[in-house]
Amino acid sequence: MKIEVDYKRCEGHGLCEDQAPDVFELDDEGDLIYQFEGQDVPAEHQTAAARGAAACPVAALRVVQ
Amino acid sequence: MTTTETAPTYSGDIYTDAALLEPYEDYRALRELSPAVWLEKHGAYAVARYDEARAVLMDSDTFRSANGIALNEPANEAILGCTLASDGELHAHLRQVVAHRLTPRALRPMKDLVRERADELVAELVERKSFDAVADLARALPLSIVPDFIGWPQEGREHLLRWAGANFDSFGPMNERAQRAMPQCGEMAAFGAEVVRTGNVLPGSLGAGVLEARDKGEVTTEQTMMLMLDYLAPSLDTTISAVGSAIWLFSQHPDQWDLLREDPSLIPNAVNEIVRIESPIRAFGRLANVDTEIGGVPVPAGSRVLVIYASANRDERKFERPDEFDVTRRDAVHQLGFGLGDHGCAGQGLARMETESLLHALAQRVTRFHVGETERALNNLIRAFGTVQVTVDTED
Ligand code: HEM
Ligand code: SF4
Repeated sequence: MKIEVDYKRCEGHGLCEDQAPDVFELDDEGDLIYQFEGQDVPAEHQTAAARGAAACPVAALRVVQ
Repeated sequence: MTTTETAPTYSGDIYTDAALLEPYEDYRALRELSPAVWLEKHGAYAVARYDEARAVLMDSDTFRSANGIALNEPANEAILGCTLASDGELHAHLRQVVAHRLTPRALRPMKDLVRERADELVAELVERKSFDAVADLARALPLSIVPDFIGWPQEGREHLLRWAGANFDSFGPMNERAQRAMPQCGEMAAFGAEVVRTGNVLPGSLGAGVLEARDKGEVTTEQTMMLMLDYLAPSLDTTISAVGSAIWLFSQHPDQWDLLREDPSLIPNAVNEIVRIESPIRAFGRLANVDTEIGGVPVPAGSRVLVIYASANRDERKFERPDEFDVTRRDAVHQLGFGLGDHGCAGQGLARMETESLLHALAQRVTRFHVGETERALNNLIRAFGTVQVTVDTED
């Protein structure tokens, strides 16, 4: 499982981070840091990552595969 | 996808006083019938289930907002060209001019102010013991924050709530409520145009930013007027609805209030749950751009489609015990009450901040809410109380 982040669309609402703090993080500037950019999401984080992606209110996160 | 059925017809009017007061049985019936149901009285396909509502919101190429938001033509014409009622690149451009001022990051400097105002307000009301949770609490906070933030001049503010309510009434079918609203929407638009013409906005405000964008040639004067309305109309009644419903919900579910008081970190989730179970905006429309389908039901090009957030949020296919208010609900964040995707609410950061701040302030002081007289404020689009008389218990 991979997650595609549309950084242009992300408005920093942070709801993804609330759901999956090990996967998504907002830095001090409010910019999104996605821990598994370009990689497969490790199995132990997949459930949380999918929950985080589904929580994004502007649909900036897309689960692929 | 193959289309297998045609849409069943629903003959009920879901905008009568009685239906607006108790909408949830109609919504349940619509969900039972089909993923898309033809609303004979309103000339639109109702999308009442969660999965399909989500799919429609996410497919903004097929389901357009220009000429699509309201259930009647005059209202659609009146709002054509604002962020809410535009598509594609134009929409992205308009949204980018303003929305960056509303992101959680941009709002960070507001946080202390909103907290402080909420604390002051709640301290004063708790001292009084009895108050109207709508007039004195739910309206008071947004009115003390949002008009300044948008930069609206002092004169004219006394009309804001009336205009905003009219704006939402006008988005329904052309019933009596919508007819009564149209002239007032005209007043609001005229006032917005005057503000743009005279540049009479508070310095440093969101409105001032929009005027700067005009001066830099990023938006036209006409677009500037539409943008002013974009951020005026939906920024008050929605939050007022959520806060009024919150107090009523917690008065009916004291166990949920205890949970919140014990663990205030539940407050953000509680806001999702409030917006889920009593969605402030019932529904918005779309216009099908091409022949398409919704959950396998064919929908021809040119059809009006009504996405009923308030029904999707109680879909038993998606949420367990959908009619139960549960602030610990794990998937409350999936609620669609703020919309989703391209048109997902641009102001939700502010709305969440206001509502969370009030709940924080109340949780520190109030042990119980006892509700007296309540009255609904009937509106084609907004579900809200007009009055919630409440008496509070405190620890000492
Ligand atoms: C609890 C409070 C609120 C609720 C439930 C709410 C709900 C919504 C919904 C459902 C939409 C989606 C429209 C669509 O799908 O076509 C929306 C859009 C929008 N909201 Fe909110 N809203 C709230 C508060 C606010 C506030 C405080 C502001 C402004 C400060 C605001 C500004 C907007 C704007 C500008 C849009 C249009 C976005 C676009 O089309 O790109 N809202 N809102
Ligand atoms: S929830 Fe969406 S908008 Fe918010 S920070 Fe995460 S990706 Fe960005």
